[in-house]
Amino acid sequence: MEMIPHVAKARRRANPYLDLGSYDPEADLMVLNLGPQHPSTHGVFRLKLYLDGEIIVKVVPFVGYLHRGVEKLCEKLTMVQLIPIFDKNDYVSPMMNEQSLVMAFEALLGIEVPRRARYVRTLLAELQRIASHLLWLGAFAMDLGGALGGGSTLFMYCFRERELILDVFEDLTGCRFHYNTHMIGGNRHDVPAGWATKVHAAINAIETRLPEYETFLITNDIYIERTRGVGVVDGQLSMELGITGPVLRAGGVDHDLRRDAPYHCYDEIEVRVATATAGDCEARATVRMAELRESIRLVRTLIDNIPEGPLGARKPIKTPLAEKAAKGHAYAAVESPRGELGIYVIGGGDNKGASPYRLKIRSPSLHVLGCLPYILPGHSVSDAVAVLGSVDPIMGEVDR
Amino acid sequence: MKLLGAENSDAVQELLIEQFGATENSIGGPPVIAVDRHLELAKKLRDEYQYRIFGFVVAAHYPAPAKDANGVGELIRVSYGLRSVGKGTKLATWQVCIPVDGAIPTLVPLFAGADWQEREQFDLVGVRFDGHPDPRRLMLSEDWQGHPLRKDYAIDTKVHPWR
Repeated sequence: MEMIPHVAKARRRANPYLDLGSYDPEADLMVLNLGPQHPSTHGVFRLKLYLDGEIIVKVVPFVGYLHRGVEKLCEKLTMVQLIPIFDKNDYVSPMMNEQSLVMAFEALLGIEVPRRARYVRTLLAELQRIASHLLWLGAFAMDLGGALGGGSTLFMYCFRERELILDVFEDLTGCRFHYNTHMIGGNRHDVPAGWATKVHAAINAIETRLPEYETFLITNDIYIERTRGVGVVDGQLSMELGITGPVLRAGGVDHDLRRDAPYHCYDEIEVRVATATAGDCEARATVRMAELRESIRLVRTLIDNIPEGPLGARKPIKTPLAEKAAKGHAYAAVESPRGELGIYVIGGGDNKGASPYRLKIRSPSLHVLGCLPYILPGHSVSDAVAVLGSVDPIMGEVDR
Repeated sequence: MKLLGAENSDAVQELLIEQFGATENSIGGPPVIAVDRHLELAKKLRDEYQYRIFGFVVAAHYPAPAKDANGVGELIRVSYGLRSVGKGTKLATWQVCIPVDGAIPTLVPLFAGADWQEREQFDLVGVRFDGHPDPRRLMLSEDWQGHPLRKDYAIDTKVHPWR
């Protein structure tokens, strides 16, 4: 395919601190606000676009519209009270938030998690990844424009499939979105009888329908035109910006915490990491589709092999008040569907040490959005929407 | 002198202690180095030790102790993390400690990702980064008074939802 001129231009890294005074004085610059209330921004996110004709010259992103002070709240509530609150950060994959948080607290308090609980956590993480990527697929098809994926057809289909996963979670935890199923030192809900059959049915249904969606979207000529060569984030730029997850892997960097720094029981199973080299929107989509299939395979290997044993540490931590106040710093990271979701916690705060002194969420979505000023200049406005959809930011996690 | 759950590799710990004179922090956490050698360390870790992925910046505010015999005063401790790439990935972490009105040289020339992270820490904790190309608030509005994650900022501070 011959390279369209503005796409070729987009392959070099733009200067996000561009002084517009030095830009062509003849140019008729226009400022366009994309957001904060715009369906394609996946929440409340504002992009100030400086346009020369239809081509973007400079991008200034504004975040913080969903800022609700979670980190300040962390200094006032006890560790146990925090777990349900963290469900709301990345509201598309709440399991990952809980897991990163309890892992950080376990590291701080020095608690060993039994093998069965670690197995169940791995299983939940992979199921959550399927649900999250399905939502991304539907939303991405919507972002690319009405006709792709049959208007909202693919969106609705993906939500139908995601529903199957949510049903499975509901059977386990009683909740559809905000589970509160992890405890410091273990899990709250044990696997109910007959659950494995339901999980098998759900992932079988999803697996048989995935090829349909690929014919729907991924092989569509218009889709290829809209995504190939658009919004190239190469591996070097990703690493400098701290981008992890599918966006990093689509740029050719083979890095996945599940395989490279195994937590839970990922060291007992083989994770095949999907990568691509192009780094454009199409590559990101390919990587995510491969991850969907890989997660389905992982769920299959995990679900029938859950080991026997206790689901919590020998002494469950119901209230850290009873523990001696934990001091020190701890960090734990999980590979969420969006990348490295890390929690940095300093122990020994209020409530006699039962609250963190300081807690910081290293959210993958914030880092991913940081790439926009570097890659968007040179693209048209419609491409901006495609790029935004392909990097899959969740604003609840960006702003916290 | 370590970050629980993500300890430095032996090579990095040795580098920190022997070449950068890292000292133990009384309250735990990563090794503490001098502010003026902070950029040098980040560059060395990136170029020679292959810690290529930008991790995080975490600032924490420590009010002056009630009985301040040693004249410690009000402090801000800033922890940094960089991640190596690929199999067996590790986190390299260190800490710098500055007085509350001090400044830290920015990491933006080395890691573009430090831009938003440092803006966030400036916004919420109020730590200044010297040479930052775009020193604005990130999360809160530009006319916000104070820095919410400071310990002297009460959680029920009255804020008008309008301007």
